[in-house]
Amino acid sequence: MKILVCIKPVPDPESFIAIDDYQNWIKPTGLFKMNRFDESALEEALSIRDRCKSVRLDVLSVGPEYSKDVIRRALGMGADGGIHIVCEADGYVSPFLTASCIASFIKENYYDLIFSGAISEDYMQGQVGPLSAEMAGLPCVSFVVKQAISPDKKSIYVEREMDDGLIESFELTLPALLTIQGGINKPRYPSLSNMLRANRAEICTINLDQIGKTDPKQATLRMTIPEKRREGYVLSGSVQEKAAELIRILSQKAFIT
Amino acid sequence: MWWRMQKTVPKLIFIIAEHYENKAKSIVFELAACADKIKKIYPAEIKAIILGRETGKLSFEITHTTGLDAVAIEINELALYNAEIYKTVINNLVAEFFPSFIIIGHTPRGLDFASGLAVRMKAACITGVEGLSEEGGKICFRRQMFYGKINAHITANSEPVIVTVQPGAFEPYKPDKANPGKVETRKVECVPEVIQAKGIRRCHYQDSSISEAKVIVSAGNGIGERENLDLIYRLAGIFPGSSVGGSRILIDRGWLEYRQQIGLTGAQVAPDLYVACGISGASQHLAGMRKSGFVVAINRDPKAAIFNESDVCVVEDIKKFIPAFLEEYGKRKI
Repeated sequence: MKILVCIKPVPDPESFIAIDDYQNWIKPTGLFKMNRFDESALEEALSIRDRCKSVRLDVLSVGPEYSKDVIRRALGMGADGGIHIVCEADGYVSPFLTASCIASFIKENYYDLIFSGAISEDYMQGQVGPLSAEMAGLPCVSFVVKQAISPDKKSIYVEREMDDGLIESFELTLPALLTIQGGINKPRYPSLSNMLRANRAEICTINLDQIGKTDPKQATLRMTIPEKRREGYVLSGSVQEKAAELIRILSQKAFIT
Repeated sequence: MWWRMQKTVPKLIFIIAEHYENKAKSIVFELAACADKIKKIYPAEIKAIILGRETGKLSFEITHTTGLDAVAIEINELALYNAEIYKTVINNLVAEFFPSFIIIGHTPRGLDFASGLAVRMKAACITGVEGLSEEGGKICFRRQMFYGKINAHITANSEPVIVTVQPGAFEPYKPDKANPGKVETRKVECVPEVIQAKGIRRCHYQDSSISEAKVIVSAGNGIGERENLDLIYRLAGIFPGSSVGGSRILIDRGWLEYRQQIGLTGAQVAPDLYVACGISGASQHLAGMRKSGFVVAINRDPKAAIFNESDVCVVEDIKKFIPAFLEEYGKRKI
């Protein structure tokens, strides 16, 4: 059985994010980490491999050169192979473009099961997984919180999260693509021995022009700083002064007595 | 399809009705509000699309509340939601009606079929939309990116366009005296091949206590270590009738219980006072607290999106600020 997990690097949430001079995208940020939802997707796939050693687990990332760092981290966590589709785009990359790269890859390389994170922390679109599935003609369920492959390995049982604390369950014919909800498991840390292996491992690199892709369909016109929806009175002074001022405001509004 | 491109001919907008236990979810009326906003830019006709095994009660509710016309598709195989059926049936309707826009909830269910449907009908797909405007003859959709710190303004290169609408972003469309819209009900057969729905169940019971609290002190990833939750509880302790809530990540880590989760997949609350501690303010969380009366945010990141939704902004680390606040409060009591 072969499993593919799609992963991407995202700017560290703590890093400084500012709009570039053309108001077209953000200024480059230095620090990247693996998208939290993709980590959960990878952990879910690794847990399948832990139970069944014959499973082969590859990771795929579509993105700039630094995507190789998250691929190496995934290898360090225990993935068997890494594939990098190099996409050195400056600015917004349409989910249609990313998904068409993934779909082209999975149409040429058979996988029984494909996982991706339900959303990415930076774009927050929730699209690349379901788009890739449809382009490759695979069934897809999103926001999966639990999965179990059938004993004959022909189908998979999944539970997905809805709002209001509801859970829906489905059975999908394999091959299939699942997008995984974040936080459903505890992603493991890369082991030292795996990291050493990962640093030497060869990552299969594919250039964008070697792969079939579609029209991006949509583009960003510009980026702006969100407008304030409330007054946003910023307290100033020392920590003590700010605390005293907040107490004054809250007692004036009778929230504290 | 070309005639829909002409500005003089009304465009057609579909809104896809999300429902549970034969009742329309509140998002349906927000989708109608989004469609109505497009209608103010282009002449447009709005149709609610309802898919289900039985749709009579739903069609009645939606057409009477909004005054919009509806197309109800009754599918025997759709006792439970199924993405495969949704994509096939809506795609067939698109081939018949040529809508310019299809508006869907940015909910776990909406996101389950919106993108796949876009591929089938060769549409663009813009998700998590919070606002729109006209620019250069096209509709420009506004959505959050990068932890809510930046807004992206996105346009589609061509029509049709699928849009998913962030819950809580549009005021529900419920005109005072709407003449009920017309309902066209059809029966369709659609047997799924690769996805079988197995069931739906309640996994968590929502505890009404958090929704009823007058004051909510809420914790997010920015609180740091688990021990710091103690500070949150101590802060909550000084407000009569308060509850402690949190953003999803703390519930995932098991630091707080599900009933305390505030946001898209948790509780939607509207207390008199909401104190956000170490919460970044991603749209998923804002969807659950935007209707609060007075909002105080404490976050060490001055660019945190939560500050755009706050009446009072405290740029401090909660580990420093809450102890200082409690100390000042204690002094005052004496």
